[in-house]
Parts: sequence; structure tokens; C-alpha cells
Amino acid sequence: MSVDIYKINPEFRDIMPKDIIDLEDNATWGVEKRGISDLTDKKELLEEHSLCAGCPESAALRYILTALPKPEDTIIVNSTGCTSLMFPHIALHTVHSLFGNQNAVASGIKRALEWRFPDKVKDVVVLAGDGATIDIGLDYTLQSFFRQEKITTICFDNEVYANTGGQESGSTPKGQVFKMAPKGKVFDKVRMWELAVTSGCQYSVKLTASAPKSVAKVVREAIFIARELGPTYIHLYTPCILEIGLSASEGLWEMKEQDKDRFVSFKYVSDEAAAYLKELKKIRSSIMSRDTSMAKDSIKIRMPALGGQGAVTAAHIAATAADTEGYYAVSNPFFGAEKRMAPSESYTRLATVPIFDRGGSYIS
Amino acid sequence: MYYVAKVNSEMCSTYKCNMCTLYCPEPNTLMFDKEHKHGNDHGTSWVDEDRCKGCAICVYVCSDLLNRDCIEMAMVTTEEA
Repeated sequence: MSVDIYKINPEFRDIMPKDIIDLEDNATWGVEKRGISDLTDKKELLEEHSLCAGCPESAALRYILTALPKPEDTIIVNSTGCTSLMFPHIALHTVHSLFGNQNAVASGIKRALEWRFPDKVKDVVVLAGDGATIDIGLDYTLQSFFRQEKITTICFDNEVYANTGGQESGSTPKGQVFKMAPKGKVFDKVRMWELAVTSGCQYSVKLTASAPKSVAKVVREAIFIARELGPTYIHLYTPCILEIGLSASEGLWEMKEQDKDRFVSFKYVSDEAAAYLKELKKIRSSIMSRDTSMAKDSIKIRMPALGGQGAVTAAHIAATAADTEGYYAVSNPFFGAEKRMAPSESYTRLATVPIFDRGGSYIS
Repeated sequence: MYYVAKVNSEMCSTYKCNMCTLYCPEPNTLMFDKEHKHGNDHGTSWVDEDRCKGCAICVYVCSDLLNRDCIEMAMVTTEEA
């Protein structure tokens, strides 16, 4: 299924590259149930790029993109680094910020989107390397956490400035030698996932990209929490195989090794965020088990009537009943002339997720 | 000449585990054929050789982690690819 942002003009369809046509025919946007299983046969939102063969960062980005709950309403903000070789090849809105200020840019974008589209959910996700997140951009990163910006920050930690020849970063482990850091690093790796917690993040997770399903689950949770509660942070180990002297096929092995060492799993969820995730899970499972027709996350009911017939009352009863049963519900009446027998309409929205739309509903 | 991954579709179709498709770092390069368009009636993983960078992570996953040996690296010329 596709959405309208990738509609090809029929006049040009016969000259469009197959990859673009695939985006319209076989990409997973506008679909409620997206996930890792789409990687087997669906068109991905990432195209061919120039990262090295076997680069774990590339695999990680596949998992992240397939886990986005609403890619068509997601803005990705990135910074300079190896990752910026991939971003021009993503079929989503992306913004390349100056090196290090990606969280400041993302904060502004999020606020502008909330003002411009008050009825829509727009997710803002920051994707940047450890240099941009933890070294040069640390100020901007932490300030966005202090301000409780509703954005998700994902740090691709390769523990080195890789694309400038191999200088040590704050995220490099103590003692590590690189081409441009021959003496070995003299102080410890910055524990950014803990800084995120003390700086006010609602959710902070450290993991490697060795388990695709785990990465996807964490990304979805982080985005859902950021929508409602505040900043979320994911620290993802994606080693630079070239800088640490591994072959192209050894990146996955390295991540599995570090699952037991420097990147042993760390997960912090605030009490408020834990309660929110629990509520989301409860609502989804309750609705899926009771009514398969609610597989779509929301339905809209439009009731045209004449004043006095009871459409407004009916819409109100429907919304109240849904609310009592654990759904999200909104009802809005629309009156023309306020007199008996004048045309009026009522709109009811029922959903398994929070509802942000208001006003008239013309498509059900 | 360069290396690309080649899937033994007969062996692969007996497992259909899809694990290689998840771990390949490149997008839309190693995929699973649900519609049986790639020479096997039971479904198999297949490689878009024009996109394969030859990293061999799929071989590591299939042979070293899963012990199934359904993928190998093979040399191709530009004419074949």
C-alpha cells in the first residue's frame, strides 16, 4: 500500500525507474502493521547508498526505517558523518543540520509542526553519530532533554570519527588506539545513556544492532513515548569495521560480542512512560481480541441529520460507549442555523490510539 | 570481476527462515520470494546481484550461526552482473 505523497503522474509512469514505481506499489507506508517482517519482500524506504560493504550502520537504518509507526508523517534530522551518506537515499523528509546542532534543529521543527498541524501526529527523529551527539553536539543534545522536547534521539555509536580518518571521540573506550589516535584514549567512554536519564529522558536504551527485532521494538516504543511524554534516547552500537580492523563480514560478530561486554543491555523507562506503554499494549490487545474489524487503528462516523432528530445525542452516546469499553473516542457536532429541522451533522471518531483530529469528518 | 552472494534455492526452500534477508546491510538486496518468481515453487531467498556489495554477512548468518550452508560467495564478471 502507498500513500499520496508518492503518487506518480500517470503521464510519466512509463519512464520512471522501477525503484520509484516500487515505492508506490510495494512500500509500507500508510499501513498500521509495519515491522521487521516487511524487510523480506516489501520495498524499503532506503535506496542504494555508498556506505562500505558490511557496514552495521546500514543494517541499523533498515531496522529503524521499517519500525517507524508513521513514516509518511516522520521528519528525520541528521548530522554530518558516515550516516549522512545514507540520508539522501531515504524516501522520507530529512533535514541535514550543521554538525552537532541536530537536536536544536529537531526541537524547532517539532514545535513548528505542532503549530502548523495541530490535528496530526508528526514524529521527529534525530539520527546522528557519536561525534555529533556526544562530543561536538553534546550541549544541544542535553539542552533538548532538559527542555523536555518531544523528539526521539538515536545515536549511531561507532566509537570513532570514522569518515575523517579515525580520531578518538568521547565515546571511544579507554585505551583504544586508532590511526589518528596512536597513544590510545586516556579517559573512559562517556556513558551517554546514563546522562540521558539524569537529563530528563523518559526512555533511554543502550543496545547493539545485532538483533533486528529488538532494535525495531525499542524504536517504536521510543517514538510512542516521545509523542506523548517527552524526550527519548537510543544508544545503538554500530561499529566501524574498517577502523577496528575487521573484515566486511565481521560486523555482526563484533556486535554480538559487545552484547556481552561494553554494550550489555541497558534500559530505563520512567514510571510515567512505563504506565503509558502498558496502557497502549492493553488497549491494542483488548481491541484486537474482541473485534477484528478494528484492525485499522481508527474509524470515523459521520451522521447527517436535521435539527431535533437526535444525531448529536447519538454521536455522544457512541463516543461514551466506546470510551467506557476502553477505546479512545471523540464526538463533534456541527450546527448550521440553530433551530429545529435545520441541517446538522455529527462526527464520531473511535480509535485504539489517542485521537488528535477534530472537526468535520468527510471520509470514513 | 567481484564477489556476490548466490543462494542455493533448493536448499533454502527447505528452511525458509528469512534470517539472511534481515541481516543483509543493504536495502532490497537479499529478499525472500513469496510469489515464486525466482525459480523455486516453494519460496526461497534470492539476491539482486546488481546491488550486492559482497560483504558475506549472509554467509556468516546462514553457515556460521544457523549451520545451513545455503549461501556462498561467487565471482561474477561485469557481463554476468
